[in-house]
Amino acid sequence: MESVAVRESVNANRNKYVDAVRMFIKRSPFAAVWGVIGLALILLAVAAPVVAAKDPLKTDFTRMSVPPDSQSLFGTDQIGRDLLSRIFYGARISLFVALASVLLGTTIGGVWGLVSGYLGGMTDMISQRFVEIIMALPGLILAFALVLVMGAGMWTIIVAIAVTRVPFGARVIRSVALSIKQTAYVEAARGIGASQMRIMTRHIAPQCIAPFLILFTVHLGTVIVIEASLSFLGLGVSPPTPTWGGMLGEASALLYPFWWHVFFPGLFITITVLAFNLFGDGLRDALDPRLRGTL
Amino acid sequence: MRTYILKRLLYAIPTIFGITVLIFAIMRILPGDPLGAYYGIETIINWTPEQKAEILRDLGLDKPIVVQYALWMRDIASGRLGESFFRGDPIIEILVQRGPISAEIGLISVAISWLIGLPVGIISAVRPNSVWDMFSSFFTVLFLAIPGFWLGLLMVVAMITWFQYKAPIVSVQLWEDPWKNIQIIAGPAVVLGLGQAAFIARMARSSLFEVLREDYVRTSRAKGLVERLVMARHALPNALLPVLTLSGVLLGFVIGGSVAVEQAFTVPGLGKALVVAAIDRDFNVVQNIVLLYAVIFVLVNLFIDLLYGWLDPRIRLN
Repeated sequence: MESVAVRESVNANRNKYVDAVRMFIKRSPFAAVWGVIGLALILLAVAAPVVAAKDPLKTDFTRMSVPPDSQSLFGTDQIGRDLLSRIFYGARISLFVALASVLLGTTIGGVWGLVSGYLGGMTDMISQRFVEIIMALPGLILAFALVLVMGAGMWTIIVAIAVTRVPFGARVIRSVALSIKQTAYVEAARGIGASQMRIMTRHIAPQCIAPFLILFTVHLGTVIVIEASLSFLGLGVSPPTPTWGGMLGEASALLYPFWWHVFFPGLFITITVLAFNLFGDGLRDALDPRLRGTL
Repeated sequence: MRTYILKRLLYAIPTIFGITVLIFAIMRILPGDPLGAYYGIETIINWTPEQKAEILRDLGLDKPIVVQYALWMRDIASGRLGESFFRGDPIIEILVQRGPISAEIGLISVAISWLIGLPVGIISAVRPNSVWDMFSSFFTVLFLAIPGFWLGLLMVVAMITWFQYKAPIVSVQLWEDPWKNIQIIAGPAVVLGLGQAAFIARMARSSLFEVLREDYVRTSRAKGLVERLVMARHALPNALLPVLTLSGVLLGFVIGGSVAVEQAFTVPGLGKALVVAAIDRDFNVVQNIVLLYAVIFVLVNLFIDLLYGWLDPRIRLN
């Protein structure tokens, strides 16, 4: 009996999510399509060893800078590596760094904003000033300086980019916390003697989930560009590991770069950013249209 | 108005002070061994402790952190900004030589973004869901996603393939040879301008779209004002205020973007100087360029805040 009840509640839960997804597709089919493209790119990155026909690191000096042909669909680079395979493998770094850094940065920022907004007063004042100071440094410049000092590596890049996302999380979630704080049910919770910790985690945090998800997707695009720019400037994951920005950097270092050296890696950056931006826009309109313009 | 200006100016002082502390902290405190960061761990492994101590003393890194910070502030106050580690030139010379090119690129790109972004956004807002609106939102969305440095690289490759283009090697200032100077800055300015134009167009569209549904716009139409005047006198001035603010925020986009875009076009500007200093691990130069960027960002946004307060009385009275 018990197991049936559990199964039913699981089914009900599943139906809730399925309904939500259905609703999203119905309301913004365009964003849903781009969401699928984004998912496909993530799958492509995970399945890179299967999908890529060639070894991304293997050089072939008989086929250097060959234009796109039947053997290498995107051509080869200056030392004969297959560009298509390098792009597939490059997706791993780009997407992993983007997902991890936005998750880390937005979470830290979100918790910070929640606490600062809820506590208010002096804590809030000081923390807001701090957010302003971090925001005065353009994202790429801040990440650039941090990676330079910490040394380029995948995890240092993730941390550096995460730091640039913290103020956005802090600012947006703070404003949510400020408005939820005023509601009657929070007042009621306070009235029955709930601790501050309990009010923050049980009553305010759940209301921050939607803006958090929106922030997360909206910033993925920006972060992909920051990671690509860092790699392009020589502060990315060290070669020969392929990254999209790194491939562009190698191409630009050539005296005479060919169009396929430059065109394809950038095309993938652009498609990925488009996918996350448009999916994020749709998600925002579906979950919380009030946030339009602030995110 | 005077109290508003004073308040904003006073607000900016702790921010700029905080920025210097933050930058200093990033550059000095984060790594365990500063010499490792300057010279690379592989190099310093072979040094004797005496050698290390001597180099630390030469670089001024043996002093307490607070003293080092005070020395940096003294360097800034003296206007020399300290010396480049490896070249020994005063950093101010690098900034004076490289700064104008980047400033030109930035200013022209902002002008381009307004010249393109505003009309595009305005027409879209006036004729929502028209063919033109679809067309312009397609390009807006596209240019929001295209990384500027990629667009720059594509332009460079096209110019190399078709016009035997050669990358500029030396910087040419506007007052030395205007024609050559324009050739150097045109590419980066256009690329950064298009990127910003997409943001501006999106903001102008949504802002004007909302203002056009306000009661006072309906009233001015109802009293028989011609549409041109409704737009010019009533709708646009209010709709453009958020666009002005956005333009200030976008300065961060321009500064960050210019580093990569200057690298793509190999333009000898400030961004390129930052990258070269980073490769040389010339932390003194990096630190001062980053500070310059941040201070410009804060001051420009302060200026826009003041302008906003002047244009919109609701702001300064609050």
